[in-house]
Amino acid sequence: MKRLIGPQSALRLPSARIAIVVLLGIAVLTAFGSTLAPQNPLTINANALFQGPGAHHLLGTDYLGRDVLSRLMAGTRLSVLTALEAVGIGLVLGTGPGIATVFLGRWFDFAANRVTDALMTLPYVFFAVAVTAALGNGLVQAMVPVGILLAPFFFRVTRAATLEHARAQYVEAAELMGASKLHVVRVHVLRKVLPTIAVTTASMAAAALLAVSFLTFLGIGVQPPAPTWGGVLSSDLAYLAQAPWAPFIPGALIAVTVGALNALADAFRDRRGAGTLAAQPDPIIRTHSTLEPADDDRQSQVA
Amino acid sequence: MTVTSMPRAAGADQPRRAPARGAAPRRRRSRIIVSRLGGGLAVLVPIVLISTFITYSLGALSNSNPAATILGQDAATPAAVARLNHALGLDHPLIVQYWNWLTQAAHGNLGRSYFTQIPVAQSIAQRLPVDLSIAVLAVILAAVIGGGAGMIAAIRRGGWFDRGVTVACSAASTLPAFVVGIILVVLFAVTAHLLPANGYVGPSTSIAQWLAHIILPSLALSLAVSADIARQLRTSLVEVLEQNYIVGARVRGLPYRRILVRHALRNAAGPALTILGNDFPLMLAGAVAAEAVFSLPGLGQLLLQSAQTRDIPVVQGLLLVISCFVIVVNLIVNTTLNWLYRANDGIGT
Repeated sequence: MKRLIGPQSALRLPSARIAIVVLLGIAVLTAFGSTLAPQNPLTINANALFQGPGAHHLLGTDYLGRDVLSRLMAGTRLSVLTALEAVGIGLVLGTGPGIATVFLGRWFDFAANRVTDALMTLPYVFFAVAVTAALGNGLVQAMVPVGILLAPFFFRVTRAATLEHARAQYVEAAELMGASKLHVVRVHVLRKVLPTIAVTTASMAAAALLAVSFLTFLGIGVQPPAPTWGGVLSSDLAYLAQAPWAPFIPGALIAVTVGALNALADAFRDRRGAGTLAAQPDPIIRTHSTLEPADDDRQSQVA
Repeated sequence: MTVTSMPRAAGADQPRRAPARGAAPRRRRSRIIVSRLGGGLAVLVPIVLISTFITYSLGALSNSNPAATILGQDAATPAAVARLNHALGLDHPLIVQYWNWLTQAAHGNLGRSYFTQIPVAQSIAQRLPVDLSIAVLAVILAAVIGGGAGMIAAIRRGGWFDRGVTVACSAASTLPAFVVGIILVVLFAVTAHLLPANGYVGPSTSIAQWLAHIILPSLALSLAVSADIARQLRTSLVEVLEQNYIVGARVRGLPYRRILVRHALRNAAGPALTILGNDFPLMLAGAVAAEAVFSLPGLGQLLLQSAQTRDIPVVQGLLLVISCFVIVVNLIVNTTLNWLYRANDGIGT
């Protein structure tokens, strides 16, 4: 992946660097959040209810006197891992058919597109709650349907990108030379489509994280004492009169994480033109054509 | 630039086609309309069938035994369960059950709740106005706020307002609707005591009270969509305003307002409208969020309750109604887009 560090790299943008730092922090919290937490997230302290941010409790305490910072740190793992679960499901279910549909003929394409359209008519939070009715109340169960409903976005983006590259001249050339479809996909298409998929993955991760925090906010999938980002938010909601500032802390955490993912997606999109479907000058033909332009062509340009 | 590829607003000034052109073009035109309708149906029918099938199979996915649940532990002898399963039609193959359910649903009968025996259609109809009020007001707010901000930003591009809109849009798109809702409650209800923090009053009771109760949820919902619309409209409007025909219209001395509305906006509104249509499912899902924050008696609360009790018919009915709404809204948006970009193939010109 030379592109990650080259002069054209998206990581040269300051917004992308900040985003990476934020996401690394979240990753550390995901791995070691409950160990690093300064206090036990479940310890109830009746002498310290609704405390504002201070020296002893950096982000204050909630309605049971529990340390908010520790609760948020300990809640990171569940939120992030289930969001990644949904993105993973969407990625696998969406990109495979998205690439395949271009090569499998019109009927498969029609069918796959209609399934995609149908899935897009189901709002994912609504659907996730409905599925917990069928499969039982659990965050892992609830994020499976979210993943399935994220798949159409991966499918559409991958299909569009694959269509673009499958029409390139070098693919035609490879086919004329007798390359199999599998070879064309593996060697020529996959590598070109990957940046687009990366951009989509980042923005879908943001969407999945929002879905997780909303589901936990609704109380889907977690038993009450266990800390989650959305759970902290919803327990604050009942005590707005006592602590009106409290919801801003988990709200800011969610917003910063989602913002970092979006910023990363935007940075890649801006630098690589990946994920945008607008017509762009085709760099492929230029690099692969070793022929000098014909003389009369050059003259007409001068004239 | 040829005449045919001229944008629509300029095309409106062209003389109409002479009506007397014989039967052949008319026949061709009607054939185009029929084939379009056919194409539309070929797309629409599978979508409806697939999404309703997914919705219905949820019941089969759950291993719950509705007959045993309805009968209760004491009365649930195998014979009684079998009899009730037969009465509910649950002893048929899934596909037959699905078809029966769909045909009944088409007649407005969504079955009855397993627990309360209240018809599902009735409890949905009771709660639908809440979500519709919020969602419709949110769409209007998003169109006004987002459209207005995007338009002004595009006209004054590079100015402080433009930069402010760009920053505000990035911030707004990272905040989920329920967080925005809580912030609004803190600002307007808890701190300023201007608006009620929760509850719902029907429009038939008091229009003013109704508006006071739905304005905060709608505002919370509309913010992210407004940001999307503002960004998209600004981009496309900036592009359109640099076109030659805008310069041409200004040279012809048309008032700027008219150029903006009839020439520029009409050609630039497409992508923003598409966003509005695509975001409608998000809005309905967000209405659930708004209900949770503002404790409104809407569909989301019904969904949460019935999901907890595993009241499958209610859940199925709710999903069906929501996805139908999404399909209808998408149709409306697509029709509007077609009307905006009437193609050069002889329909509608």
